[in-house]
Amino acid sequence: MKLGFVAFKNMISKPLNMVLSLLLLVLSVSLVTFVLQLSEQLNGQMGKNITPVDMVVGAKGSPLQLVLSSVLHIDTPTGNIKLEEAKQIMRHPFVGSAIPVSYGDNFKGYRILGTEVNYFDSYGVKISDGRLYESTFELVAGSTVAQKLGLKLGDKVVGSHGLAAIGGEAHDDKPYTIVGILQPSGKVVDQLLICNLKSVWDAHDHGEEDEGHEDEENQDNTSHEHNDEEHEHNHESIEPTHDDHHDHEHDEGEHHHDEEHEGQNGAGDHNHEHDEEKEITSLLIKFKNPIGLVQLPRFINENTNMQAALPGFEVQRLMGLLGSGVKTLNGIAIAILLVSGFSIFISLLKTIRERRQELALLRTYGLGTGKLLFLVLCEGLFLAFIGFIVGWLFGRLALFMASKFIESGYGYVLQINGPNFVELVLLGVTLLIGVIAVFLASTSIFKLNISKVLGDA
Amino acid sequence: MVITHQLKFQYGNGEAFNFPDIKLKATQHLAVLGPSGVGKTTLLHLLSGILPPSSGSIQINGTEITGLSRKALDQFRGEHIGLVFQRYHFVKSLNVQENLRLRQFFPGKMKEKERREAIAERLGLTVHLKKRVMQLSQGQQQRLSIALGLIHKPKVVFADEPTSNLDDVNCEKVLELLKEEANLCGSSLVIITHDQRVTEHFKNQIVL
Repeated sequence: MKLGFVAFKNMISKPLNMVLSLLLLVLSVSLVTFVLQLSEQLNGQMGKNITPVDMVVGAKGSPLQLVLSSVLHIDTPTGNIKLEEAKQIMRHPFVGSAIPVSYGDNFKGYRILGTEVNYFDSYGVKISDGRLYESTFELVAGSTVAQKLGLKLGDKVVGSHGLAAIGGEAHDDKPYTIVGILQPSGKVVDQLLICNLKSVWDAHDHGEEDEGHEDEENQDNTSHEHNDEEHEHNHESIEPTHDDHHDHEHDEGEHHHDEEHEGQNGAGDHNHEHDEEKEITSLLIKFKNPIGLVQLPRFINENTNMQAALPGFEVQRLMGLLGSGVKTLNGIAIAILLVSGFSIFISLLKTIRERRQELALLRTYGLGTGKLLFLVLCEGLFLAFIGFIVGWLFGRLALFMASKFIESGYGYVLQINGPNFVELVLLGVTLLIGVIAVFLASTSIFKLNISKVLGDA
Repeated sequence: MVITHQLKFQYGNGEAFNFPDIKLKATQHLAVLGPSGVGKTTLLHLLSGILPPSSGSIQINGTEITGLSRKALDQFRGEHIGLVFQRYHFVKSLNVQENLRLRQFFPGKMKEKERREAIAERLGLTVHLKKRVMQLSQGQQQRLSIALGLIHKPKVVFADEPTSNLDDVNCEKVLELLKEEANLCGSSLVIITHDQRVTEHFKNQIVL
């Protein structure tokens, strides 16, 4: 039998006391670890997702919103830009790669993104199943989307207008077919459904109603009749007052639907005549020459009616804003940690008072004050250690729940990792607080009058 | 053996005690008798080194304990002195067996399982070894207290009022147990009590 065992038995002999003295410690440790993990992971996730993009060009508005919507896919777009104007920027000598993206629809809350094939290369994701899209209304699903929605190759998917899962107009006359599923990348691509640009244009380009019905008869959508009515209704009554970024295109589409439909069959290259009418949401640019980073954003912001935003800069700004919140929370958590140290001190003091007969008894058993101190030290360290472990577990539980919440809202998933370096430092600090509490509480051990304590009993 | 010489003790409040000299050879038994308030417990605390005397000397097993440091005294007590308290003191969070082992801890006799089992057997505690001490009956606690005073085979056992709360039958039993165990261990036994029933059991007596 070791003295540590006695200390442990002593500690658990009064579970309620133990819980009481651990409460604050658990609270502070869980708060610190949760907040640190959350900010670190969000930072890491954003960092990972913005690396392939040096600059985003989109419609005028908030640059942060442009970055969030076009690169991180967690906000609504600022609007659309003309493809023709975007092409001028793509031809700029400083531009290495420029990927146009266009979107505005979702399937069950997951965004349908129209882009070019080099989008996959820039994020370094490969197809794990099936193939890349080759023509319109072929869809490649990110690994998370495929997994969550149980999508398989050949599945038909009907996009709804807008970016939220509910309330959008269903484009059920233009179903997509899943032709490929991507490998998991841990990046935002996992959360997307990706097709070519033309699919997005065509989805919002309402053909004649006859054609629509023909299309519908080919699909096995059981509720298509109901949807169709809604569709027609929306088409006529809501469309004129829509102020969504695709409205413009709808209007344009009315004039051009005949030509558009001819183009649809000859998938691939679209007619240059119509580029001036076509719109994309934004352009993701990687520079060939670093001078571009200095010159191009300024040029675009001053000389065009588009805006250029730098993801690195915007994310840094965002994390700066979040950072002050994180600091505040950490400050609160550290204050609680100090108070919890005090509560452990009080609890140990109480323990020592209550057990002074036992401690005096141990002195008659031949255990010196040093050993008694060790006994109390063990108890204090056990408390601190258990408090840390439980707090850490609660922190991870909170992270898990936050992950579920963020995932349902934004499609991001937080990792539940083992303890990292900062948390080990926190463990050290917690144990140190335990030790300090013991030494503050144990002065009465040195002053223990065993004759009086044993005689009074 | 226990030898004291001109032992005096004075409390902070001025209350002073002068104790008669004691000369007790190894394995001898002694009863210290006297009414309440004459300093019986004080004497026991002085003899066991729990309380330092104001003046005088105390030799136990040839060691002058008044000259020992606090730490040396703790160790000496742990090894050579056994105490049986008036009110039973145990570590309440431990069970009977663990309490016995804890008493063996400092003298480094924890490995002596047979000793533990033997004394538990003789004192009728074998079936209670796994019980928490607070689950024991009064009589069982009394016997555990005796076991704790003797398990490490001390040179001297001091017992403070071991019989005061007991009826005649149990008083007999406890005194027999104490004497028997002390004899088995080769220990001197000093009983301090106001209980007159004890007198007939001890040839050596001091009256305070």
